[in-house]
Amino acid sequence: MNRDTYIFGGFVALFALISGILLGVGNLSPDASGFGTIVAAGFTLLLYSFLYKDNPLFKFGEHVYVGIATAYVFGQIWFQVLYGDLIRPVFYPEADDVGNTLHLIIPTILGLLMLTRFSRTYAWLSKYAFAFFVGLGAGFTIPRYLSSYVLGQIEPSLAPLSWSAEGVNLFIILVGVVTVLIYFFFSVEHKGVVGGASKIGIWFLMVAFGASFGYTIMARLSLLIGRITFLLQSWLGISLT
Amino acid sequence: MIDQLMNLDRRVIFIFVFLGVTIPLLADFHFPIKATPTVIAVYDEIERVAEKNGRVLLSFSYGGGSEPELQPMARAMIRHLFERHVPFVIVCLWPDAVGLAQDAVQSISSEYGARYGVDYAFMGYKTGQSALIINMGQDFHVAFATDQDGARTDTLEITRNIRSLSDFDFVFDFAAGESIDHWWIPFGQEKYRFSLGGGCTAVIAPDLFPFLQSGQLVGMIGGLAGAAEYETLVGHPAMAVSGMRPQSITHLVIIAFIIMGNVTFFLSRRR
Repeated sequence: MNRDTYIFGGFVALFALISGILLGVGNLSPDASGFGTIVAAGFTLLLYSFLYKDNPLFKFGEHVYVGIATAYVFGQIWFQVLYGDLIRPVFYPEADDVGNTLHLIIPTILGLLMLTRFSRTYAWLSKYAFAFFVGLGAGFTIPRYLSSYVLGQIEPSLAPLSWSAEGVNLFIILVGVVTVLIYFFFSVEHKGVVGGASKIGIWFLMVAFGASFGYTIMARLSLLIGRITFLLQSWLGISLT
Repeated sequence: MIDQLMNLDRRVIFIFVFLGVTIPLLADFHFPIKATPTVIAVYDEIERVAEKNGRVLLSFSYGGGSEPELQPMARAMIRHLFERHVPFVIVCLWPDAVGLAQDAVQSISSEYGARYGVDYAFMGYKTGQSALIINMGQDFHVAFATDQDGARTDTLEITRNIRSLSDFDFVFDFAAGESIDHWWIPFGQEKYRFSLGGGCTAVIAPDLFPFLQSGQLVGMIGGLAGAAEYETLVGHPAMAVSGMRPQSITHLVIIAFIIMGNVTFFLSRRR
């Protein structure tokens, strides 16, 4: 046995000992709720053990998590979508469902055709389903995205400038939009005025990446705070202010 | 010394981050939390809806992986809605949001003695994402013929008169992914012209600022910091406010490591 085996073995033994003491002194109740807290705390620690190094305990926790998450999502989709919206109205229709099943059967057939990709002989059938899906998606998406992302964004970018705090904001946004567009315009060599403008564009991009990275750190730390709060409060029973 | 710092084991940083989170959680001190204009805009919008006795649609588009950031936000907003007697309907655009949404609303509704079907209703999850939003805009009763427990939406008091998304006075989406900017704005707000707000994880908050400037979003609550600001505005500090102590201290730890890394890098180049 190497050093890591002792470390991880000791880690599991320590966790079991602490959980046993918490059950013994009554911090955790000896029922489904207490057992659930111990399991959740154990898997939290298993997954964080990756910070030390990759190990079989982490792999176990990861695989269990993926399995449970998949099963949970499948359960929701089965009861709410497949059973609730398809099987029940088609096979066990209520008074309001009569005559409304055709619009369910056609898309279901199209959906089933997608599964023919698993067969070499019948894979060609899936093309009809994909063609419908791509056509529908393009028809839905293109006008809406043009409206929201292009027209909806151009309008505030071209708002009239003024000598106010809002006017300064608009000017900064205008300079940012123009210089970043110049930076991504590769048909002209980036020299002279174009080179200077593209350098300003790079600065705008760097500030945007920095802001994005800062927000990302905040997000990841929030998740860590959530888990440590759970371990301290729910598992160890420490009351936090 | 410089060589040691240049090759610092990353686990040392992890230990400092762990201590930066744990110690402030155990200690009792507070930083002032001042609400930013984007969060105040969401709060004011709910106040506006309360004044006109309107209705709100809450959309849950996140899973367990974003619970620490978005659940405090959802709880604070639900508390605000109950306190101001604003009826609201919950829909889930992510399948794994169902349990989280139920947990948030059930734990708070009992505090206020809220009545199901009158003060709030829970529609559960439906697939379709943007197609579901269009469906809700065309006919809400077709998109959700029944609520999560099978009660017909055309008989529930809160949803009886809702025909379209435009009948809601405010729609708010809690998002861990692309639901605000890729689903609600293009297929909902732009098409049916309702007031839309967004609460999101900090990772996607920078992507949403252009939509605030364009007025497509009336307000935004970004990450745990935004949730703490909203809890402060509602006057009920909870998980998010207490989470800001470790958040702030750990940010200082990370800034210290960034400065140390840069100083060490330049000193090693000078040698």
